[in-house]
Order: sequence, then C-alpha cells, then structure tokens
Amino acid sequence: MSRRSDLARYLASRLALAPVMLWLIASLVFLLLRVAPGDPIDALLGTRAPEAARAALRAQLGLDLPLPEQYGRFLGHLLRGDLGTSLTNGEPVTGIIQASLPASLELGVVALLLAAVVGLAVGFSGIARPEGRIDLAGRLYGISTYALPPFWAAMVVQLVFSVWLGWLPVGGRFPATLMPPEGTGFYLLDSLRAGDWGQLVGSLRHLVLPAATLGLLLSGIFTNALRLNLRRALGSDYVEAARSRGLSERRVVLHHALPNALLPVLTITGITVASLIGGALLIEVTYSWPGIAFRLQEAIAQRDYPVVQGIVVVVAALVVLVTVLVDLLVALLDPRIRF
Amino acid sequence: MDWPLEWAPPDRRVLPTTRGRTRRGPAARATAFAALLLALPLLAGCQPPRGGDSLVVATKSRIDSLDPVQASRIGVMQVLSGLGDPLYAIDASGRIEPRLATALPLLSPDGRRARIPLRQGVLFHDGTRFDAEAMAFSLRRFMAIGTLGYQLSSRVTAVRVTAPHEIELVLQRPFSPLPRLLSAIFLTPVSPTAYRRHRDRPLNDRFVGTGPYVLAFFGDQQQRLVPWSRYWGRRPANGGIDLVTLSNSTALFGALRSGEVDLLLSSGLEIDHQQALHRDAAAGRLREAVGPSQEISLVSLLSDQPPLNRPDLRQAVARSLDRATIVRRVTLGLRSPQRQLVPPDLPGSDPTAWPAYDPAAARALYRRAGYCGGRVLTLPLTYRSDIPTDRLFALTWQAQLRRDLGDCVKLEVSGMESTTAYSQLDKGALTMLFYDWIGDYPDAENFLMPLLSCSKAVGYRCLEGNSVLGGTFWTAPGLEEELQRSSQLDGPERIALLVAIQRRVAAASPYVPVWLSAPVAWGQPGVSRPRFDGSGRVLLGELRRLHAAAAARVP
Repeated sequence: MSRRSDLARYLASRLALAPVMLWLIASLVFLLLRVAPGDPIDALLGTRAPEAARAALRAQLGLDLPLPEQYGRFLGHLLRGDLGTSLTNGEPVTGIIQASLPASLELGVVALLLAAVVGLAVGFSGIARPEGRIDLAGRLYGISTYALPPFWAAMVVQLVFSVWLGWLPVGGRFPATLMPPEGTGFYLLDSLRAGDWGQLVGSLRHLVLPAATLGLLLSGIFTNALRLNLRRALGSDYVEAARSRGLSERRVVLHHALPNALLPVLTITGITVASLIGGALLIEVTYSWPGIAFRLQEAIAQRDYPVVQGIVVVVAALVVLVTVLVDLLVALLDPRIRF
Repeated sequence: MDWPLEWAPPDRRVLPTTRGRTRRGPAARATAFAALLLALPLLAGCQPPRGGDSLVVATKSRIDSLDPVQASRIGVMQVLSGLGDPLYAIDASGRIEPRLATALPLLSPDGRRARIPLRQGVLFHDGTRFDAEAMAFSLRRFMAIGTLGYQLSSRVTAVRVTAPHEIELVLQRPFSPLPRLLSAIFLTPVSPTAYRRHRDRPLNDRFVGTGPYVLAFFGDQQQRLVPWSRYWGRRPANGGIDLVTLSNSTALFGALRSGEVDLLLSSGLEIDHQQALHRDAAAGRLREAVGPSQEISLVSLLSDQPPLNRPDLRQAVARSLDRATIVRRVTLGLRSPQRQLVPPDLPGSDPTAWPAYDPAAARALYRRAGYCGGRVLTLPLTYRSDIPTDRLFALTWQAQLRRDLGDCVKLEVSGMESTTAYSQLDKGALTMLFYDWIGDYPDAENFLMPLLSCSKAVGYRCLEGNSVLGGTFWTAPGLEEELQRSSQLDGPERIALLVAIQRRVAAASPYVPVWLSAPVAWGQPGVSRPRFDGSGRVLLGELRRLHAAAAARVP
C-alpha cells in the first residue's frame, strides 16, 4: 500500500475517532461537575435565599430535571452545535467562548513565537562547542525556565516591570482609557487593520509581559529539545557521511543536522500549542488576561455547568485538531514516517 | 512617532563556523540584547493618553452583566450606583433621603399598603420619561426574574400604579424597613422602552436607567461611564469613570502604586496589600476613605448535635475567642472585633451583646461540662480554603486556644472550598464553620433574619429555615415571632426588640461573631478624597481631579 493511502487512512481514522473522543470528554465533564460538591444555586443566590426562590431558579435553569434527562438534553444540544447558556448571566456559551478564545490564542501565539525564537536560539548557540560555557549556560537556561513556577515568575515580572519600574501595565488586555478595537477579537490584528497606532501600542503594552513570561517559561522546552536532538543528529552516520564528503561544518549543521533535529521539536511544538490553549491559566489569572482559561476557572468557581462543559469541549476539539495537523505536517516533512 | 516594532537587525545571525567559534556572534548578541532593552522602555514610554477629567477606578469584581435583575455582587452594585438611582438613598450618617421618590412611603393604617410619590422631570438615558409605570415595570420585572427577586417578592405581593407619579406596594405584612430595602441599588428603575424585549430575560451588556452616568462602553473587564447631560440631579464632578477589573490582589495593588489607576476599591484586596496602602495613606502618599461596614465574619456552631448541643459549651466557646489578639494578628488591625450580629452603624446594634474574651469563665464552663484536667474537648473548625484570611484566622485561634485553654479545648482545623462548604452547612456536616455574611441592604433585619429565621422547629431545634442554611440548626421558642415583629415595629420600640433578640441569641451562642469588615477606597493624591454612602458604595460622582497645589496637600 502506498504511503499516501496510509496517510489518508491514518487521517480518516483520527477524524473518525475525534467525535468519540469529544463525546467521552463531554460526558466525563458533565458527570464530574454533577458529582463535585457545590451547587450553582448557592453561587447565584447565596445560601440564605428562601427555598421557594431556590427551587424556582433551579427549575428555571433546568437543574431540577433527573440527571439522565439533563444529560440527554446536553448531548442533544451539543449535536446541534448548541453549547447552552451560562447559568450566571444567561449569555450563550458560544458567545462567551468567541469573546475569550481570541485573547487566549493571541497570547498563546505570541508567547509560542517568542518561546520558539528564544528557545531555539539558545539551544542552537551552544552547539559549536558542546559542554562549553555557552552550552552549559544554555542547558542551565533550559532547565531553570522549565522548572520555574509560572505564578511566581509572573508575579516577579509583574512586580519589577509594572510596580517598581512602572514601564508596563500590571494587567488587563487593553488600556482603560481607550476603546478596544472592533473586529475579530485579536486586538493586535484588529488595531493593525484599523490603522490605529494608539490601539496597537495599547494592545502591545498589555501583551508584552504576559507573552514574555509565558514565552520565556516555555522556551526552555525548545532549548532542551533542540540541544539534545541536534547533538544526537551531529553524531549520526549521515552527518559523518556529509563531513567525509568535505562539506563545510556550517553546511553540515544547517542542511543536514538541523532539519532532522527540528522534526521532534515540531512535535513538541504541537503538544505545547495544545496545552497552551487551555493551560495558560496561571498567567491569565496573574495578568488579569481575559482568556478562555481564566473564564474556565471562574465558571468552575461559580459552578456554571454549561460554560465549563462548553469550554472543555471546544478546547478538546482544538487539541485534537492541532495534534492531527502536527502529525500530518511531520509526516509530510519526514518521508521515513510510517503509519 | 516611531514605534519600536522592528528592532532586530535582520542580517546579523549567529552561525557556527568550521572552527567551532561564532562569527560576529558576540556583536550580534549584544546588539539584539541592547535593542531588546531599548524596546521595552520605548514601549513603556508610549503611555496611552489619560482623559483630562475622567478617572480610572479599579476593582476585583468582574462584571458579566449590568442588568439589575442579575446584580448580586459588590462590584456590580458599585457600577449600578453610578448608572442608576434608587428610590431612597442612605447617606453617610445613616439617614434615609428620597432620591427618585419625593417622600418616605405613606403607609395605610394596617401597614400593608405603602404609597410612594415619585419625582417628576426625570429622564431615562434613552430620553424616555421616568414615571410610575416605569417604576412598576422595573419592580415587577425584578420580582419575576431577579436573582435577588426574593428580597422583594417575599414582602411585596403587588405593585400598583395609583397616579402618573405614584406607586403603591401591597405588602404581605407590615414591614418597617421598607425604605431601607428600597434603597437597594438593584431596585433601580430601567427604561421600559429599552427593556421591552427583555421583560423576562436579562439585558447584560447595556443599562438604560436614570443615574448621573450613561454607560458608554461595556466589557466584562472594563466599563466606561460618561456624565448624563440631562441628569435631574447634581452633575458629576468628573468627566467620566473608567472601571477596570483586575483579577488578583497583587495586580490591583500594583496598579495603584504605579499610578495606573486613580482609585482602588478594597474588595478582594489581601490584608498585606491593604496594610501597605494604609501606611502609604498615613504617610500622605495616598488618600484613604473607610465606608460603613456591611460584612460580618462569624463562626457557626452546629447546635443540634453533640458536643455543641450543650448551651454551656457554646457559651464557653464564645468566651474562648480572643478577638483583640486575633484581629491584630490576622487582619493587622484593619478590621474591628465584633460582638454582635448587626453592624454598629445600624439602628438596633448592640456592641456588647456577645460575651467578651474571658478565659477564666470559659475554663469554668468547660470544667462544668466535664472537660479540663485530663479531658480535652476537640472541636473541628472548618475554614474556607480559597480565602487566605480565613485560614490565618483558624490557625491563630487554634494557637490562641492551645496557649490559653490547652488543657480544656483543642481546635482541629481543616480547609474547604467556599462553594463546597456552603453546600455542606445545611446538611449538618460542619461542626464549626468560619464564614461571613454581607447584607444586601443596610438594616438590622437583613442580618438577623438571614442568620436566625426558622420556619419549622421542634423546641430549640430548627428543622427548616435560614438557621439550617446558616449551619447552626438553632432556634428558640418565640424567636421567629420576635423576628417577624421586629420588622413590623419602628422607632425605639423596634430598636429595643432588636437588642433583646441579639441578647437572647448571644446567651445561646449558636454563632460567634468575630470581626467586621468595612469597605475602603484609596485614591491618588491628585484625586479628591473618596466618600462612601450609607450603603458602602463610593460616591463616584463626587470624585474629581485636583489641581497640583491641592493635590500636594494630602492630609
């Protein structure tokens, strides 16, 4: 069977499994939320509301129905692409996700680019002299940024650059005194499209600290991955063969070792992207960044079942999509990959 | 202006050479690093313009709806107080003054009907006229779909329009704190025209009311209020308010310290940060204002199960709490010890209702119950693990008891997330829980009823009602009738009854009040000193930027 048909079969199987996986995740979240202690009615009314008022609100929100019926309704709506409405303010969950997802994606993409540039540069810089000072510094950088607790690093950065130096805002996504740009929800893009420099600089000023913190914390992963894979590649037979053909060391590294070393890094990038979509919680909370992870945390605290379920399902779908795309990209780039 | 967006020299890359050394590496790295260092201050220098007279106010409360029917959190109430008007307002001295009403309610002889005359010449932000129909529309809508709708619907059976500018409330029973209830900002009227399609569902991202400010922008993290040019009352002294939400205490603290915001509200601010700001204010670097308290922290004692079903043991526990030491250590003196369930600013308060700290008397009570001298009473105390101060309280009280009464009583402390703890309270699962109660409107009734009311009881054991929800399961014969009667009386008679109720409850001690939290606001020296109203909200309209000379004179 040809490689192309193998790839198509692999892709088809992944796509066919995706709905099953989403169903499992959605069902698990639905059940876990109901099993977890706490009641959305308490979060909405407080604990002292009269029982009649509590019962009325419970009925209004459909929380008085038997669990199987609630589950059936939830799945029925999900199949129609309806994620329900928030228990706390009655807004459609899709609207809430549409409002908060661009913030997370903007932060995630900029942080990832920063992480890749810095991480790969540091990982690459020590390769000329393995175990030399630069290599050791790079290794130390990789380990320390990877090991730093995100909330601590974020608070230190916030304290230094915002509170002490007063250079950049402590949090939020946009200056309070300006109107946020309208459009896609990606403020950098929207303000560029509008040609409004004030908005662009305002967005950038708010983005710099969270993106830099997240990017630097992630960069260690890239540093370590590139460093290890590049060293392994430089010791391999095909690199020796290239050297024996008289190629310059620069050509050997850039044209032979580096592309091979970057393939595993690409896989790591995929995993990082997936975890970034929902995993930048501590950064979002510390910098008051109104992203999807921040919204999820609030919804969990308020026991806002539909919002939690909706966000988890959407994030899971994005993770599935990204991992499939990365698999495909790796397969396209590396002819040795078999499925 | 040139924005420092492209700082990296594109042609200087670090590449390895065949000799294993870098070519132009150090230079390229130094340039890149210098450019990076340069870019940051340049970007930092590009501060967005601050509107001349408008002010930035920061708080922790995220606002996902500005519809009064959804309002239940402090932050929303603060914003609504700028956008809307209540029927009555309570000033800083606790006096009730008509706002959209023109006089206090005129009660029928049986006290079951209250006629409220309304102000004329008031316009909603959409230009439509405020009248009795609009007020009735808003109150009926609130009772039908309001999150706190029960506050009104449990007392008012009907809202009638009796004249173009007069409404009548039909009450279930006489209710003397009615003007105080009607001072709640969640009862602010909204334009029937603007809310026509939202009669039975909330309108989250707009607000069309009668207040001094109009909502110019709504985001869940940011709201802009601009003065309403056709406001019936005094126009705001500032050019507008930009409200921002920051999610954690460090960010809020940093935003004020760095000058990013003009005013900071204390809600959600950790004690350490509050103390630092308090010191700044004392040193003249900030302006500080303290509002009337509506928040009481207390310990509930599960009174229908051993060991705390014994009144003498509950009395012993009440006398074992060294509030002065605990408040000093845990809240750094920023909160005040409290020995009653009603905030001291309200009529009916009784500052010495609960017994003071008295280890000798406590020891005698423990001993009488068979403890001390070899037998130690172990009490499980649960605190809300998501609130740092609560944990500190639990640990400090535990240590204080170990020091003072270690041979008689021992606390076993454990944390539980707030929502979980609240859901366990009415199941009788928590012997003692440390939590707080915030009144929705400033009246003693709103503190006693929610903690003590009981609709079904057997002797001293409450089977249904707020006492169960409060985790004590305690009541007393005739107490419910006294509570009901207290909200029907007025004047000195009512105050005497409220004091008597508190004394009676204190003698049984199903709750142990601990401390009182007051709202605080800190402003930059360049902003006028903030003032609170009697409901604990900053009067946004009074804030204004000061001239340099006035700003330099921070008292």
